[in-house]
Amino acid sequence: MDRETLRKLAMLNQLSLNEEQKASVIAFFAKRDEELGVLNNIDTENVERMVHVCPIETVVREDVIDQKFQREDLQKGAVDTDEGYWCVPRVVE
Amino acid sequence: MRYETVIGLEVHVELATDSKIFCSCSAHSYGAEPNTHVCPACCGMPGMLPIVNKRVVDFGMKAGMMLNCHINRTTTFDKKSYYYPDLPAAFQTTQWFSPVAVNGLVEIETKDGKKGIRIKQIHMEEDAGKLVHDIREGTTHVDFNRTSVPLIEIVSQPDLSSADEVEAYLDRLKTLLRYARVAECEMAHGTMRCDVNLSVRPEGATEYGVRTEIKNMNSIEAIKRAIEYETARHIDAVENGTEVLVQETRRWDDIKGKSFAMRTKETAGDYRYFPDPNIMPVVIDDTWFEKIKASLPEFPETKLARYTEEYALTEYDAKRLCESIALCECFEGAMKVCGNAKDAANWMISDVMKTLNARQMTYDMLKLNGETLGKLIKLVADGKVSRPNGRKILDVMFDDSRLDPEAYAKENSLIISTDTGLVDKVIQAAIASDPKAVADFKGGKEKALMALFGKCMKELRGNCNPQELRTLLIDAINKID
Amino acid sequence: MELYLAKGEKKEKTVALDDLFLTKSLPTTAGSKMLDGYMSLFDAEVFTLLSNSGFALGGKAKVGEFAIDLLGETCYKGATEKDGKLVYAPCELVKDGEVLAALCLDANGAPRRGAAQSGLVYLKPTYGTVSRFGLVGVASSGDTVGICAETTDTVREILSVIAHHDDKDGTSLSEDACISINKEKKAAKVAVLKDFIAEAEADVQKSIYLTIEALKKSGVEVVEINSDEIAAARVAWNILMSAETCNNVSRFDGVKYGYRTQNFTNLDELYTNSRTEAFGDLIKTCILFGSETLSDKNYMKQYDKSLRIRRVISEKFALLFKSYDAVLLPATSKTSYSVEDVKENLTLCYEENKFTAPASITGLPALVAGGVQFIADAFEEGKLLCLAQIIEQEG
Repeated sequence: MDRETLRKLAMLNQLSLNEEQKASVIAFFAKRDEELGVLNNIDTENVERMVHVCPIETVVREDVIDQKFQREDLQKGAVDTDEGYWCVPRVVE
Repeated sequence: MRYETVIGLEVHVELATDSKIFCSCSAHSYGAEPNTHVCPACCGMPGMLPIVNKRVVDFGMKAGMMLNCHINRTTTFDKKSYYYPDLPAAFQTTQWFSPVAVNGLVEIETKDGKKGIRIKQIHMEEDAGKLVHDIREGTTHVDFNRTSVPLIEIVSQPDLSSADEVEAYLDRLKTLLRYARVAECEMAHGTMRCDVNLSVRPEGATEYGVRTEIKNMNSIEAIKRAIEYETARHIDAVENGTEVLVQETRRWDDIKGKSFAMRTKETAGDYRYFPDPNIMPVVIDDTWFEKIKASLPEFPETKLARYTEEYALTEYDAKRLCESIALCECFEGAMKVCGNAKDAANWMISDVMKTLNARQMTYDMLKLNGETLGKLIKLVADGKVSRPNGRKILDVMFDDSRLDPEAYAKENSLIISTDTGLVDKVIQAAIASDPKAVADFKGGKEKALMALFGKCMKELRGNCNPQELRTLLIDAINKID
Repeated sequence: MELYLAKGEKKEKTVALDDLFLTKSLPTTAGSKMLDGYMSLFDAEVFTLLSNSGFALGGKAKVGEFAIDLLGETCYKGATEKDGKLVYAPCELVKDGEVLAALCLDANGAPRRGAAQSGLVYLKPTYGTVSRFGLVGVASSGDTVGICAETTDTVREILSVIAHHDDKDGTSLSEDACISINKEKKAAKVAVLKDFIAEAEADVQKSIYLTIEALKKSGVEVVEINSDEIAAARVAWNILMSAETCNNVSRFDGVKYGYRTQNFTNLDELYTNSRTEAFGDLIKTCILFGSETLSDKNYMKQYDKSLRIRRVISEKFALLFKSYDAVLLPATSKTSYSVEDVKENLTLCYEENKFTAPASITGLPALVAGGVQFIADAFEEGKLLCLAQIIEQEG
């Protein structure tokens, strides 16, 4: 992990880091990189990936409308709402 | 040098389900009050888990089958991450690793003939919310009603080469998806949207040129203009070096008639897809697969041929009916009951379609039950209800698809009177009330009959065969010395 | 020493929920300034089940920020300490007799470490047998609701209440599978992962050998084995856990609810400053690491590889469970952590979780009793609770 990659990575995740944090994150990445050998030592050539630990299929839901939440309740925790909308600074396209 | 344009389309189609793809909120967001079709899940609040709407998978499969795709019998959902205010959880659940349908083919026809367009894949995903700018200055207002409304994205191979072909392709998709009743595909409503990938290359070249993507197009006319503009811009750049083409995302400004590079972040496109741990694979077993296959409609061409050959409809009538699967279904239902294809087609075209137009409804919005319409047609054909009264009943049936026309006719005294005594009485009364009209008619003024005829009709509330009434009325006048 | 973030009812049958369980009656913060004062509009399914069975909510226990840390030290209200040592607030409430039991989200093993160090009984059931509906999602493919109590019987009682199928959780197993974990079973043969024990400090090792002696005395056969591929669980789990956590907490941006910065002039600043000001250093590191493992460059080498390693480890366990009823290993390397430990190494949880990662990455049930951890095959909670009972009687 170099500083330039870290700058982009932080930007991608909407975070900004001070110098001390940058140094500690870079050190953290270095540690993790060193450990990757542990994975590479295991041959996974013919192993299927395992996304879910329980071997079940999805249970689908019937297409039925069930709306029980009110807008005013959903917006109670928001700092800026207006006319039933959530508000953010003007998006530039 | 001559150039060819290479175009691939990504078409987003909103599926016509009742509820959203992963939560139970209503999916009918068009025109609704902002944020009234939302719940903690589609507002990006913590704690709720996605549960897949079965009908979305049904429709995904159907769309795949209509477009001659291979259906992946195990299909999975994945997460795509990015920050934008219309994406409340900062990720979109989509299909990246195993989409529902792949490797399809759609045949299109333009003035240059027929051509096959390959479909790379169809994936199911959730829509984003809607942003409204400057209700308050400097602010963007966010509405999550559309968030998590189910979409399919149909990705074509770069097999299209002109604006005309793109139009034909989009028309074809629209027809097929509407026939399968999986989507409205109305660009004006935003239920069909399109990203256009375009590049140019010298004719016969095998390498592709630099590709640009015009995002979020929502009218055929605009798409055609954008394609012509982009093609010219690319050729100009290649030929005259007017600018250096870069692979980028562009926005079409239809008023200015120009495309503009979109402002993108340095990190744009870094979506970090990964399989969604909260959604187990969707496994389509044979029963499910066959059920969907059996539910597919006849293709429009097959229907058209059958209507002209089997039912002896004129090419014109058949084509008009085949414009919409809803019309076809209603027509076929009516025909089964009334047994007369010509009659049923006639009612469909001169009454049903007219009423739809008058009510400003699209043909696909027709809710009329074909069999009930058949009953009505039969009542009129059997002389039990007059044609004008039949039209009145049809109008009521539009509002109540379960209405039984015969029962309604009886309740509202719309049955043709078989009581000849009553008809005679009415005729005699009319004659007696207007001796001048009688005299005028006798004196050769044909028009004078109309007043008497109208009076009788009104008195009988339309419940008679107009032809018969006319004959009886003339007979009665002639009997007067 | 403040253990509760918010207090609830005081009753005899009282449970504490750690602060990742959403409740309508008390705020849910997930230990993060981001969600300070956040009120949920619905209750976690497990809480509904407990309420319906006559349990009251004693309060919301302090928890580390999104529960990925060592022992709750990253809670925005500060670490919970006792005599200079870190303690796990939900466990401590049980130990103090404040509540009968505590329910914890086991995202990265913190409750297992807490229970081990405070000598309580703790069970992390098979993934999919307890609903995750209404939990703040962290590492979704491993997140499990765990039960911490003073006695095995209490754990059993709570388990029978919360292990049910839930239509609102897409990874919830069938009702038959869920309730099958309540079945009483015998554990006769235990395999000890000796290289894991070697990685623990002397006093932990000592107590483990005491427990082993107690088991043997009760007729349990104990065999030492090598851990082989299981040792890779930590590295793979760190990748999966970080990526999933990164994705789950990306929704917190200061717009819809939660912490919002005062300091912004445009959307980008609103997002970045809200997140930067509200998140602590550990979760930030986790977000960055998780995001990077999913990048085009690393996805196959790291994330995809870890998914395959997960299968290798699961298969290794499956093989072991053909011969053994349970596997024994430590839950921590130390009998206690000092505040200095995590001050010196903020990301110590990425190393200490080597003991908890095997059960996290496989979703297998894990038990902590007598300071020792046991892992059993899926749905074999009965065997684990049998071992807990033996330790309880012998101890």
